[in-house]
Amino acid sequence: MKNFKLKIVTPKGIYKETEIEILNIRTTAGQMGILASHLPLASGLEISEMNYVENGERKHFSIAGGFVYVGENETTLIVNAIESPEEIDLSRAEEAKKRAEKRLSQKSNIDIARAEIALKRALTRINVKGM
Amino acid sequence: MAGNMQSIKRRMKSIESTKKITKAMQLVATSKLRKTRNQLDQLKPYYSGVQETVASILKSNEGKIDNAYLKANKEGQDVYIVITSSLGLCGGYNANVFKKVDGLINEGDFIYTIGTKGAGFFNHRNIEFNNEYLDLNSTLDFKDIIRLVGEITNKYRNKEIKSIKIVYTEFVNNLTFTPRVVTLLPVNVDDFKDIDITNKYTIFEPNENEVLNSLIPMYLQSVIYGYLVESVTSENASRRTSMENATDNAEELLDNLLLKYNQARQTAITNEVSEIVAGANAQ
Repeated sequence: MKNFKLKIVTPKGIYKETEIEILNIRTTAGQMGILASHLPLASGLEISEMNYVENGERKHFSIAGGFVYVGENETTLIVNAIESPEEIDLSRAEEAKKRAEKRLSQKSNIDIARAEIALKRALTRINVKGM
Repeated sequence: MAGNMQSIKRRMKSIESTKKITKAMQLVATSKLRKTRNQLDQLKPYYSGVQETVASILKSNEGKIDNAYLKANKEGQDVYIVITSSLGLCGGYNANVFKKVDGLINEGDFIYTIGTKGAGFFNHRNIEFNNEYLDLNSTLDFKDIIRLVGEITNKYRNKEIKSIKIVYTEFVNNLTFTPRVVTLLPVNVDDFKDIDITNKYTIFEPNENEVLNSLIPMYLQSVIYGYLVESVTSENASRRTSMENATDNAEELLDNLLLKYNQARQTAITNEVSEIVAGANAQ
């Protein structure tokens, strides 16, 4: 299978630069798989699980929203935060989940949107950790 | 004479301890400067990636996109983000920002201050400000930036605010920093004219407008974060220079005082000798 370059960029610098076979992401328009020689494409990313196949091995990550840009010979993922299962702090994610659920159940708050995003992030992390 | 010598000694001691403090602050500022400059470099790929994509969207659809972030709101407040320091002893860093702000910000404008010095300034002038993000200049927490951007972009889309401007200090080099005012929203399409784009025929999924809606907040996050880190870099550079000057001045003072002290000591010895000689001659 033909490989292509993937670059993952976060505000803290370049997270990873590697050669992969396929990249699976969830954009704002839905699930998407990207192979080598894809047409140039730009799209927003959901807070979701992301995975790619590197040397025949599938690797999972949780991302906290961001952006994908598929260029001619390189694909760039611009994300606010990214973690591999090893990097995820499960107890912290579970705490964040509880906190967000509590906030959502109170309902009096105007910060419902924020709590929902926090809950989504926590659930994604817990999900990826279990993979 | 002895009294004079003692007072010189005392002054030397106090200058010595002040010098130690300024020297320590200079060293701390130097290491912090290195750290923030690194952070600035690390942010570069993120920033340029976002900027390039925004540019390619705007260029491939010149004038055709009807996006809320590109249109100027006619009503509402002007919002300013002002970045100052929380600590003093950094030369003219804060004063220069305040000079820029003076006359720019009027009553009725809404202000987000980063740094306690700015809060003091606006308090003194009875201008309303939001102090939720005061510590951002020491924590440099990207999550808070996301929150701040979410807040202002929401307000902008609801047409509660007219424009968003940021006042920061540009880091030119280790000795030069200039305060600048930059308009963040509405996005100025001309800002992206000079950026080269590699692909003219990019697919935007699901469409340009949606992509812009998710991209512009990210763009603002990276720009605000970049300006924040740049300001902190300027602050540390400014502190380092002023502390270096203070240390140099202390050294100069110490040299002069040491000369005076030695002169006084020599005078005292000469006096004593001549007294002894006079006493011996008299016998």
